[in-house]
Amino acid sequence: MSIFTVVWITLPFFVGFLIFLLPKFDRYLALMVGISSAIFAGLIFLEEAPLTLIWLDNFGVSLKIDQLSGFFILTNALVTMAVIFYCWPTDKTAFFYGQSIILHGSVNATFICEDFISLYVALEVLSIASFLLIAYPRNDRQIWVGLRYLFVSNTAMLFYLVGAVLVYQTHHSFNFAGLDKSPPEAFALIFLGLLVKGGIFVAGLWLPLTHSESESPVSALLSGVVVKAGIFPLLRCALLLPNIEPMVRLFGVATALLGVFFAVLEKDSKRMLAFHTVSQLGFILAAPSVGGFYALTHGLVKSSLFLLAGKLPSRNFKELKHTPLDTRVWLALVLASFSISGFPLLAGFGAKVLTMKNLLPWQVIGLNIAAVGTAISFAKFIFLPRGGEKQSLNMGFWWAIFLLIGGLLAANLFYYQAYTLTNTIKPLLTIALGWLAYHLIFQHLAIKLPRFLEQFDHLIGTMSLILLLLFGLVLI
Amino acid sequence: MDVMSTGVIAYFVVIASRFGIFTPILSDVEDIKYADPVPQAVILTAIVIGFSIQALMLVGAMKLAQDNPTLETVEIEKNNTP
Repeated sequence: MSIFTVVWITLPFFVGFLIFLLPKFDRYLALMVGISSAIFAGLIFLEEAPLTLIWLDNFGVSLKIDQLSGFFILTNALVTMAVIFYCWPTDKTAFFYGQSIILHGSVNATFICEDFISLYVALEVLSIASFLLIAYPRNDRQIWVGLRYLFVSNTAMLFYLVGAVLVYQTHHSFNFAGLDKSPPEAFALIFLGLLVKGGIFVAGLWLPLTHSESESPVSALLSGVVVKAGIFPLLRCALLLPNIEPMVRLFGVATALLGVFFAVLEKDSKRMLAFHTVSQLGFILAAPSVGGFYALTHGLVKSSLFLLAGKLPSRNFKELKHTPLDTRVWLALVLASFSISGFPLLAGFGAKVLTMKNLLPWQVIGLNIAAVGTAISFAKFIFLPRGGEKQSLNMGFWWAIFLLIGGLLAANLFYYQAYTLTNTIKPLLTIALGWLAYHLIFQHLAIKLPRFLEQFDHLIGTMSLILLLLFGLVLI
Repeated sequence: MDVMSTGVIAYFVVIASRFGIFTPILSDVEDIKYADPVPQAVILTAIVIGFSIQALMLVGAMKLAQDNPTLETVEIEKNNTP
């Protein structure tokens, strides 16, 4: 298994470069990498005990592969495959496929590494690859969004590096476990880096603009898997060190509420989806032990929604209300929205029930409010008019959607114990409440939230505020 | 960006040489206060990554400068947000 792991982790980088040499086979090579990751994730689920690999003594690279990584790797594999299918009939160049495979590889690397320096390298490769993907269309707007992303993430990673060396100073090792007895400033700095990278709470407000202004397949990749690269180490640390867990849970609830607050009031479909990603990341963090399954369902839903949103005639909800959609697109949209609101028979239901079961008492109210907010914001999609004229949609698009929605239906079986009467009634009530609120209040509401928090200067400023907040939280 | 990353690099070097500044090379002399090679090795990676990111950002900034010669972020942001 350990040889196999090494081959699997290097494969995407090797293929990524190979694609530039053999541009004719770009799609096939990229798809092959996606399939290999899916197989690897399957092998992880079959393996009973977690696999730990350590090279070069305690200074060196250490990897840890368990069920949690399995879920994340499977998400990554499915989303990448769907994006490749989606782009198959388009005239995307080998550059796109090469970069997305390198991105795929670096995201995989973050999901298995267990020391701070390998994580740093993986995260930096990831930000370079995603910058190239964002800025690829080369108009001013995309370049600016990409630059902004690169600047924010690189600044965060510098804070992170300082934290990493402080951990090394106390333990002479970069392992995650070393965070336990390190000084509080090390902890605050490392967490700041990961929070910004993962788009959590106020530190994650760079995310909406970046995700909504990129092209649809790129947004699907970013929202489906790339943000999870920042989330995963947080989960890993929370599971490893019990004294960190309450803080991660606190950030989870705060993020879920903040994201959903913006999402409910948003009038632009892609921005709404991006804000909603922020809120769903909160759900993942709120119950670290079962975060993997939630991450899988969210990755599938969010990438399919972004791909669908790219095919809608307009981005503005107001205009969408007056243009009936193609019934087939509408159906896919509704299935995905139902899953994310937690409707039974789709995987989102199991994930929500599982998360709600693993909450601490003080989190329950916050997350229930966030769940209602989710139902309200997705009512915007569900109540769009249907029966419009047929759009010409190619096979690649349908393959991608079938893969993602099919994944949702299949993942449903993973937690079939959720189907009891009380469990089923609660999400239905939540959804009913959300729809009622949407029809009575939010449909007519026209509040435009100020966007000053998303401005570039404020993003950097907020980082230092969050650093102070983290430091305060550790000292308490 | 460059200034910030230089600061971090300098910090790594300081940490490495806290308990001695001698190059850790195997020799006959005993009990020399060695500098710790691990942070230095690690920061080498970070220097390379930081350099490549700066190169990328510079390309982006040059492309933006064609239309926004003053490169004021506030102005660019105003033009480029929906």
